[in-house]
Amino acid sequence: MGLDRLFSNIAGYMDQYLVLPVLFRLHWMAWDDLAFDWCLICVYGIFAVLVTYAVCLPLEAWRPVERWPDNKAVLVDVFYTFLNRVGVTPIVTFVLFYQVQTWSTGLLVEHGFIPPTLDSLVPGLFGHPLVTFLVYALILDCADYWRHRLSHSFRWWYALHALHHAQTQMSFWSDDRNHLLDDVISFFWFFTIGLLIGIPPLQFPLLLMAMKFIESLSHANIRASFGPLEWLFVSPRFHRFHHGLRAAGRHSCNYASVFPVWDIIFRTADFRDEYLPTGDARAPAALVSGSYLAQQATGLKLFWQALGKSWASLGIGRAAS
Amino acid sequence: MASRQVVGTEPAYREPSHWCLTPDRRQLFICDASGNAIFIFDPITGAPLGRKRIADPYQLGYTPDNKYLMVNALRLDFVDVYDGATLRLVKRFKPGRWPSHLDFSPDSRWSFNSMQNSNTLVSFDLASMTQRWAVTVGETPAGVLWHRGKVLCCIMGGRGFVEVDPVSGQITRRVVTGDGAHNIFLDTKKQILYVSNRGPGKTGLTALDPVSFQILRQYEIPGGPDDIGIDPEGNIWICLRYAESVAILDPVSGHYSSIPVGRSPHGIFLNTMLRQPGRITAERI
Repeated sequence: MGLDRLFSNIAGYMDQYLVLPVLFRLHWMAWDDLAFDWCLICVYGIFAVLVTYAVCLPLEAWRPVERWPDNKAVLVDVFYTFLNRVGVTPIVTFVLFYQVQTWSTGLLVEHGFIPPTLDSLVPGLFGHPLVTFLVYALILDCADYWRHRLSHSFRWWYALHALHHAQTQMSFWSDDRNHLLDDVISFFWFFTIGLLIGIPPLQFPLLLMAMKFIESLSHANIRASFGPLEWLFVSPRFHRFHHGLRAAGRHSCNYASVFPVWDIIFRTADFRDEYLPTGDARAPAALVSGSYLAQQATGLKLFWQALGKSWASLGIGRAAS
Repeated sequence: MASRQVVGTEPAYREPSHWCLTPDRRQLFICDASGNAIFIFDPITGAPLGRKRIADPYQLGYTPDNKYLMVNALRLDFVDVYDGATLRLVKRFKPGRWPSHLDFSPDSRWSFNSMQNSNTLVSFDLASMTQRWAVTVGETPAGVLWHRGKVLCCIMGGRGFVEVDPVSGQITRRVVTGDGAHNIFLDTKKQILYVSNRGPGKTGLTALDPVSFQILRQYEIPGGPDDIGIDPEGNIWICLRYAESVAILDPVSGHYSSIPVGRSPHGIFLNTMLRQPGRITAERI
């Protein structure tokens, strides 16, 4: 039995015996079809976490860049991971994306335009799912490169993103360590791109998982690079350089998530063979080692302060004060 | 000897769902709702013949007089009426949320469309292109079938289907088949009604007498049963949405085997149906 079918079967059982009874009781059976998709997202999410754990944990034990006296600071990242990969976040994202995509498509159709899919527009894509996926992946990764680079460029945005950089014990769990508001901005960012190119949310789940795996691996506390393939995929060494103390803030490098080609093209790549300590020297303690709620609250406070400074620099609010 | 293996796979944009035959039976239209397209195949060989861009086709059907092609756009809340010959959009209705399944009166005057998220069954007059009535039938109505002068509509948030008077729109009967009754079909050869029940809990097919609606047999088949087809030997081919397979049920013994086919099999067309005289629809098999 292929992995895809195995996951569908597990999601099917989950749907039939856990989700459908709830939908039936709550009079929400209209969501039956989508409920199966929600279950699939959960199953793929759990599998992705397990695979990442199974691969990265031994590697981190074998060739760590740093050895820590304890892993307390990592625990909160584990929470972020489950929240983002298995829990509420992907499901809310999926439902919201579905609703907005439906609304915008309806609006276009009412005005006489039926939005095409990318594979119907670009010759040679239709019927070649792997090529189609690669095109989608490159577009999304390029969009993510610019989102990430801009998040380092604006003071208010970096105030949120600093939470991700504050971790001094960076591990494979750190990929999803983000401020909720930063997640919301990312969500809308990809939302717009997704609407423009017509992303099929569940068409390539295994390949999407592979991409997320690369992102997790790139955060791992591993002394490893991809050697001659270093330019092809973001390695732990390449991304660690981005998380290095001296790369925090506005003048960073290595912004790409999966394909370093964007850093090469836009001249922000740094392939130096160094394994730097991670963190942001200016981050307050609550952002580094606080609880989930403390990190979120501190991030919000920093964001608000930075926003005030940005407004002041633009002259907004001076007359009132 | 049939191999019961997948012999070929053709690509689609997103997720194919229901089908209909063109009036000349030379083309099989398959909906790809989120791909905003209809894929066209040779109904005998399965060879692809092309595709046409159409907004959100989820379920579709030609009127019995072939004058119109009606398309339920479930995501977009439209019921679109196209000219049967040119496929030019003639009329767009917005009768409620999530138009799901549809059927017609044999004289082609009226259509009956279930609104999955408005809990209504809606009827349109296709001569005047107006809405005739909308009746609340129960939670999450789905499969629709014109049957012996009445309209039957499955209630997925309930435990069976309702019988509706097509003139007044009044519910005349409620029939219990099982939790999550999704779609309803008539075996035209044996004159047996089948209802696919999605659950929760036990899922499968219910066989009923077409006149009394008495349950003849319950078949328990897990995996989210959806559309069905019947082969010349009388076996029932059932799409199992959540098991990525098609089950082949021997209705006499109750045993079934399954063929893995890929993600979310939704509608099923058996080319042996082309031997059937008269109008062929997904609900009359």
